[in-house]
Amino acid sequence: MAMEVTQILLNAQAVDATVRNHAEENLKQFQEQNLPSFLLSLSGELGDDDKPVESRKLAGLILKNALDAKEQHRKFELVQRWLSLDSPVKSQIKTCLLKTLSSPVYDARSTASQVIAKIAGIELPHKQWPELIGSLLSNVHQLPAHTRQATLETLGYMCEEVSADVVDQDQVNKILTAVIQGMNSSEGNSDVRLAATRALYNALGFAQANFTNDMERDYIMRVVCEATLSSEEKIRQAAFECLVSISSTYYDKLAPYIHDIFNITAKAVREDEEPVALQAIEFWSSICDEEIDILEEYGGDFSGDSDIPCFYFIKQALPVLVPMLLETLLKQEEDQDQDEGAWNIAMAGGTCLGLVARTVGDDIVPLVMPFIEENIAKPDWRQREAATYAFGSILEGPSPDKLIPLVNVALNFMLSALMNDPNTHVKDTTAWTLGRMFEFLHGSTLETSIITQENCQQIITVLLHSMKDVPNVAEKACGALYFLAQGYEDVGPSSSPLTPFFQDIVQALLTLTHRDDAGESRLCTAAYETLNEAVRCSTEDTAPMVMQLVPLIMMELHQTLETQKLSSDEREKKNELQGLLCGCLQVIIQKLGSSEPTKYVFMQYADQMMGLFLRVFASRSATAHEEAMLAIGALAYAAGPDFAKYMPEFYKYLEMGLQNFEDYQVCAITVGVVGDICRAMEDKMLPYCDGIMTQLLKDLSSNQLHRSVKPPIFSCFGDIALAIGENFEKYLMYAMPMLQSAAELSAHTSAADDDMIEYTNLLRNGILEAYSGIFQGFKSSPKTQILMPYAPHVLQFLDSLYMEKDMDDVVSKTAIGVIGDLADTLGSNAGPLIQQSVSSKDFLSECLSSHDHLTKESAEWAKLAINRAISF
Amino acid sequence: MADEGLVSHKRDPLKSSVGNVAAHRRRQHAVTIGKERREAVVRTKRLCRVGISEDSDVSIDNDMVLDEEQSILEAQTSSAVKELKASVAYQGKGVMQRRVSAIRELRCLLSRSEFPPVEAALKAGAVPLLVQCLSFGSPDEQLLEAAWCLTNIAAGKPEETKTLLPALPLLIAHLGEKSSLPVAEQCAWALGNVAGEGEELRNVLLSQGALVPLARMMLPNKGSTVRTAAWALSNLIKGPDPRAATELIRIDGVLDAIARHLRKADEELATEVAWVVVYLSALSNTATSILVKSDVLQLLVERLATSNSLQLLIPVLRSLGNLVAGDTQTSNVLVPGHEITDNAIAALIKCLKSEHRVLKKEAAWVLSNIAAGSIEHKKLIYTSEAVPLLLRLLSTAPFDIRKEAAYALGNFCVAPTEGAGKPTLILEHLVSLVGRGCLPGFIDLVRSADTEAARLGLQFMEMVLRAMPNGEGPKLVEREDGIDAMERFQFHENEDLRNMANGLVDKYFGEDYGLDE
Repeated sequence: MAMEVTQILLNAQAVDATVRNHAEENLKQFQEQNLPSFLLSLSGELGDDDKPVESRKLAGLILKNALDAKEQHRKFELVQRWLSLDSPVKSQIKTCLLKTLSSPVYDARSTASQVIAKIAGIELPHKQWPELIGSLLSNVHQLPAHTRQATLETLGYMCEEVSADVVDQDQVNKILTAVIQGMNSSEGNSDVRLAATRALYNALGFAQANFTNDMERDYIMRVVCEATLSSEEKIRQAAFECLVSISSTYYDKLAPYIHDIFNITAKAVREDEEPVALQAIEFWSSICDEEIDILEEYGGDFSGDSDIPCFYFIKQALPVLVPMLLETLLKQEEDQDQDEGAWNIAMAGGTCLGLVARTVGDDIVPLVMPFIEENIAKPDWRQREAATYAFGSILEGPSPDKLIPLVNVALNFMLSALMNDPNTHVKDTTAWTLGRMFEFLHGSTLETSIITQENCQQIITVLLHSMKDVPNVAEKACGALYFLAQGYEDVGPSSSPLTPFFQDIVQALLTLTHRDDAGESRLCTAAYETLNEAVRCSTEDTAPMVMQLVPLIMMELHQTLETQKLSSDEREKKNELQGLLCGCLQVIIQKLGSSEPTKYVFMQYADQMMGLFLRVFASRSATAHEEAMLAIGALAYAAGPDFAKYMPEFYKYLEMGLQNFEDYQVCAITVGVVGDICRAMEDKMLPYCDGIMTQLLKDLSSNQLHRSVKPPIFSCFGDIALAIGENFEKYLMYAMPMLQSAAELSAHTSAADDDMIEYTNLLRNGILEAYSGIFQGFKSSPKTQILMPYAPHVLQFLDSLYMEKDMDDVVSKTAIGVIGDLADTLGSNAGPLIQQSVSSKDFLSECLSSHDHLTKESAEWAKLAINRAISF
Repeated sequence: MADEGLVSHKRDPLKSSVGNVAAHRRRQHAVTIGKERREAVVRTKRLCRVGISEDSDVSIDNDMVLDEEQSILEAQTSSAVKELKASVAYQGKGVMQRRVSAIRELRCLLSRSEFPPVEAALKAGAVPLLVQCLSFGSPDEQLLEAAWCLTNIAAGKPEETKTLLPALPLLIAHLGEKSSLPVAEQCAWALGNVAGEGEELRNVLLSQGALVPLARMMLPNKGSTVRTAAWALSNLIKGPDPRAATELIRIDGVLDAIARHLRKADEELATEVAWVVVYLSALSNTATSILVKSDVLQLLVERLATSNSLQLLIPVLRSLGNLVAGDTQTSNVLVPGHEITDNAIAALIKCLKSEHRVLKKEAAWVLSNIAAGSIEHKKLIYTSEAVPLLLRLLSTAPFDIRKEAAYALGNFCVAPTEGAGKPTLILEHLVSLVGRGCLPGFIDLVRSADTEAARLGLQFMEMVLRAMPNGEGPKLVEREDGIDAMERFQFHENEDLRNMANGLVDKYFGEDYGLDE
């Protein structure tokens, strides 16, 4: 059955595009005509030591891609396709792959490992291929080193592919034994040790039982720690990666080892190669993550119930940990600030220091202050930068009481450093540190702010000056200004301390967006987002200046739409800019639309603005579409019923958005915008509802659409019903069964998975909002009684939600509202039904005594509606 | 491949650009605004008052009651109570007029809004004044308005309802024959609201003698008074103490009136009366045995067959089910071969076919009660259209309906017990039901978290294992994954179920199972 494919595979990698395309076409045809034969040929090619390595690698890769895909529904199809192949074919392929593991050619072995893991990922959950692990491990000791290496690599990939619950403990033990033996220092071959160490990284998730057994755990930990001392850098790195994984998976088992681990990590951080040192730091960052989570749970709930107790490792290690991290700060790279993806030991150390500060709070301050004081004024820029970075890192975590006196002393120093320090790195970090000061120590929630009338002007002068600095410093200055503006968001409607500087701020930010080197996208984004924040937090007295921005930004947007014949790189930049400009207009619309006088003036631009937004849809950028949609949603709300005049033109883009499964965020935002438009246009929405409802129903039945879009779609049903009232009648026969079956699915959260519970609650809330909207939409219509047949189900849904006892507050509030809406609209006809429901009694009285103000309010209203329904 | 084997974990640096975070926040903010606006729209709609009162003199007011209006309303209420107080103290000329218009003012305020200003009225001391206005010899108009005010107060929060305690004796007194009908009805209404609040207040009302006068009000042939009285009675006898229900059925004329209303009354009145029957039959054995001997059962069956009103059908079905379940000798009434029995089954089949979940569930429940009767009963239903419907419900309906259908189907297979020991089987029914594919439905119940349903499923499985001809049972159970379903009970906390399931697995799927193949 197998066919000769070597030449085609080689041609498929040819430099000549014609040859390559032809070969790819051949492969595609072959696959379509006879899949089993195709897969067999590929596995044969991969396993044949007489074939060239290039064709073997590609054969394996195609085989792998025939088993797995990134996209969820595609992946599902491939899995089904494999499962439905004839068993003899599958077993022939598998035998061939297992045989390939003994090939002397590394690439062939390694590719085979990955393919085997993919097949295991499909078959083991179906209880197929039970002999796999046994056959991999049989005679593992007698095999030649290269085969042992391949076997361990396969085990590692396999553990990555399958979930722990499909492998018996007995087999887990065998895997772990083989892996640990492979890691042991008695293993002479370092390739085998490396493969074993990497395999352990993936196998750790399987070792729950083994980690509860003291002896086994001690043994595993000893071998891992030994491996961190290997003479091979890659083994040391892999061993530290294992430790990082252990720190999060088995935090509660670490106490006996933490002292030794500290010594090992400290040595690695100080002396080892960077990739190893980074993992050693990561170990402590990961411990911080764990302790922050646990302490948050302690704090959030007085019962102090966290499943895992806090061992306060960080607090205990603090006196030695902090000096170690401070040392790393001095190992900066020359150009790290220019490179967005940069990651080095100094950055990792500072990040860890920030986490430590969040974990221990005030205790870190006395340990860091001497370092700052000693280094902040040194001639070596590295020392000044490290001191500043240390200061910035610890601004979140310790109490304002502890920090404010220090910041008050440091602020002037920082401002002058930002103006005058000769070194760019220092200025960059200084601006960032100022931003952190404003983020955490300035705002209406604090009793005393570090910003006063006196220093405000100076701060702004310095920040605006820094916007003329090199791009990375200018961008950090924007960040500082962003948080400065944000601190004034609750300052009141009429005037803000920023008012005197508003014009200058806007001017400086706009200038920044026009800088030649603003093409550096981080800078342009930071400038626009800072402008947005300044606008969002602005007050009535600066409204005229915001108004002046409207034509300006519109002109910018217009210009991006006029440019033509761009390279793909330029087009991408242009789309990004369109997104930023639409985002900016969205914020401005929101701001000016929120008060009548400004709205009135602003609306004269509406026609033109809408025209620009519609043109943005001609681009293919998902981000630009999202931003344009959001801006249109804001515009619709401001325009009210007048928005109807834009609908004939806008409708097709709305439909396009609702059909965009691929960029599901676009779809989600469009669904939200449908809601905005409903609220704006009310019954003028009617002519468009057939099309919109059709599309929404299609979206709901699609298994390709990301699930997160479904709850907003249900809410959107409610929005439509509220807008068009009894005209929703014709959609009831489609919408209600959808709601009903979704309700039945969501009534029980079978999975204990937190994500699933959260999603289920979102879904419930969407469904309930739909019901509320529909009932309220029909209220006072002569047709209310056509809803009567649905009432039993709705009440049943509410009852079963109540019985499940796992609603979150938001769902409770919406749910109790629904029963009120039902009673309100259906009145005495539903009285007997309502009286029978548990929700109308027990759930209601629970909500009446709720601590949540909004829930209580909804419940009180529901009670009135229910009483009226059952007593009249 | 060695160098790309693992991609090292890299976290986001602490020192990062503001742009991305800010853009994300801005979009989140836009989404939040949408949500807030949706809530505001719903809130406004809820507050939008729609005239639902049948009384033309209550001004229909379509304005929105906003917070300010609410506080205005409250202020008006306190001053209305103050005026009422003054009018009660006033003894001069035109006192009656002044008093009546003061109460009416208060009543209008209490009826006007979606949020009646009950609290404000109570705070201003309305109840003692209203009690005074209820004193004997007062003009009807005054009594009516005072009782109306109290009705609206009783519809408030539980603690507000309780403030009516001092008014109860007088409200009950005005139910008597000497009162005009509107006054008596309004008082019944207020008392119904009070009784609906809870057991404690029901007991107070019963001890103060509310039952007999309300029952008498139900005796005449028609009118809203009868309906209101029936409604108030159904609230009053809700129990859980059965004594009120027993007492009610023994009052002269009540049984007769119930039958009469079920026979002749319009659907609205019949609905309220049927609710009375629901509580009578649910709570009191005495009432049940009296009711089954009367025409009531026959009348319920007729209503079930002829009505399409869901409001009526629900209490009728439930009454029927209560009566059938409560009567140890159902056969006395629903005798196979009699017309009433056929009619009852036909009507229940109609309900099984209906769209309404509640009707389906209640009908299946009633059928399961009938199927628990004699062999003749079982045969009769078994040959009807009910079986295919029940089978379909067992495989497709929501859980609660499925469970009722399973009870009915299970009952078909078991003969009435004579003495102790395992019930005898009706093999013919069992074989035929299994043949029609009911086993997976029962096995599904075994998997449910509801122990009652699980027990039912296990019992059915036991019958299949024990009795299917040619020892076919174990194979059938295995084929439908029944073993797996039973094994889930291996360590179940419910000892009974655990023993039952383990016993079955041991007995039928023990070491020898499958050896003969």
